[in-house]
Amino acid sequence: MTAAPLCLLVACAGTPLPTAELAVAAAALAHAEAAGSAQAAPAQTAQAREKLRLARVAAADGDALRAQRLAQQGELDALLAESLTDTAKARQAVLDTQAANAALREEMARQRP
Amino acid sequence: MQTPRSTPHARGLPAARAQAVAVPRAAHLGRTGLVWGALALAALVACSTPPTPHPRLAAAQDDWRQLQAAVPPAATVAPAGPEWREAEVALARATAAEAAAADPDELEHLATLAQQRVALARSALTRRVAEADVAQAQQTRDQLRLAARTAEADRAQRQAQTAQRETSQAQREAQAAQRDTQAALRSADRAQRQASQAEGRAERLAEDWKALNARQTERGMVLTIGDVLFDSNHAELKPGPARSIDKLAVYLKAHPQHHALIEGFTDSQGSEAANQALSARRASAVMDWLVGQGVAADRLGARGYGEAFPLAGNDSAGGRQMNRRVEIVLSEDSRPVAPR
Repeated sequence: MTAAPLCLLVACAGTPLPTAELAVAAAALAHAEAAGSAQAAPAQTAQAREKLRLARVAAADGDALRAQRLAQQGELDALLAESLTDTAKARQAVLDTQAANAALREEMARQRP
Repeated sequence: MQTPRSTPHARGLPAARAQAVAVPRAAHLGRTGLVWGALALAALVACSTPPTPHPRLAAAQDDWRQLQAAVPPAATVAPAGPEWREAEVALARATAAEAAAADPDELEHLATLAQQRVALARSALTRRVAEADVAQAQQTRDQLRLAARTAEADRAQRQAQTAQRETSQAQREAQAAQRDTQAALRSADRAQRQASQAEGRAERLAEDWKALNARQTERGMVLTIGDVLFDSNHAELKPGPARSIDKLAVYLKAHPQHHALIEGFTDSQGSEAANQALSARRASAVMDWLVGQGVAADRLGARGYGEAFPLAGNDSAGGRQMNRRVEIVLSEDSRPVAPR
């Protein structure tokens, strides 16, 4: 197990600050929140927000690798929050349409002589 | 730079790790031309690591297996989307990292990413199922609306047909009532006309008989024509104005149902046989004349009775004149008159 510390050393020395990853994660979070993820998927939204904050802290500390990992995880949390939001909307649409159909059926049954 | 995404940037010793991480990807892509030395190194490192599974990665792999089992078998939705492939790739990377005994932080990071990718795939599958359900429910809704509209139209048509049937029924009844009324009116009219016609016929008949100076007897109406028609001892009709016989011809033609028997009579002067013959000839002369006027012969009959059936005594000139005569008996119905 001598490879891991060596790797870490090399990575820290040669990794530039993940400016692009941070921007992508921030954009994903903004997109998710615009879709209403704070209400539909509050846990994932909060986690994405927290990871992005920690990624910025790490970047400010000069820990590029940690910043990159947190940014990538934060991006996926944001994507998951938005996906869960969309899925919740789709499930609601199923319920709404089925309820409308039930009402329509009831109406027809009442009108039938 | 240890993530597979940045593999091209790996240099020196980390290259071995990078290659090791790349093994599943390469296998996944079907590429086999890898550096065998790197593989051997990776295997060596793996073998030297105690086989304690990474808890987060194990959780991610478990999630993934559960998700595979959750895919509807009927394949109403295609589970494999971009999320599915991303999850497969992320899991492969983390598994390879574990096999290569990667740096714990890196392995923790890759396991976290794999877990998130699996969660994304799960959400995507759930969403696709929901979208398919929505599409089906909308299709059902369209069918229901169509059925509702059809039922509505059918109902309206039935109502219209019922109304029309009732209207036509009422019209037919009204027409029938009108026809009945008209028929009754016509019937009454006809009865009245027939009554008035019968009355008129009876009146005309009575007038005609009066004009003929006929008298009613048991045998029928009898018209007596005196000796003015013939010269003495002759049987030829004499011409003359306003004769009763002319009126008789008109009457017989106007009433074709009546029959007539013409009877000739004489006084008692001369021989009985001669008188009989003379009276017969005179009756026949009258009958021939009537036939000549257009009266059918089968309605007529002629007989001579000579001196028989005198109306008065033959001992005076006045009596003898009354006995010289022709009598015409008219039937009241369509049967011939019986002779005396």
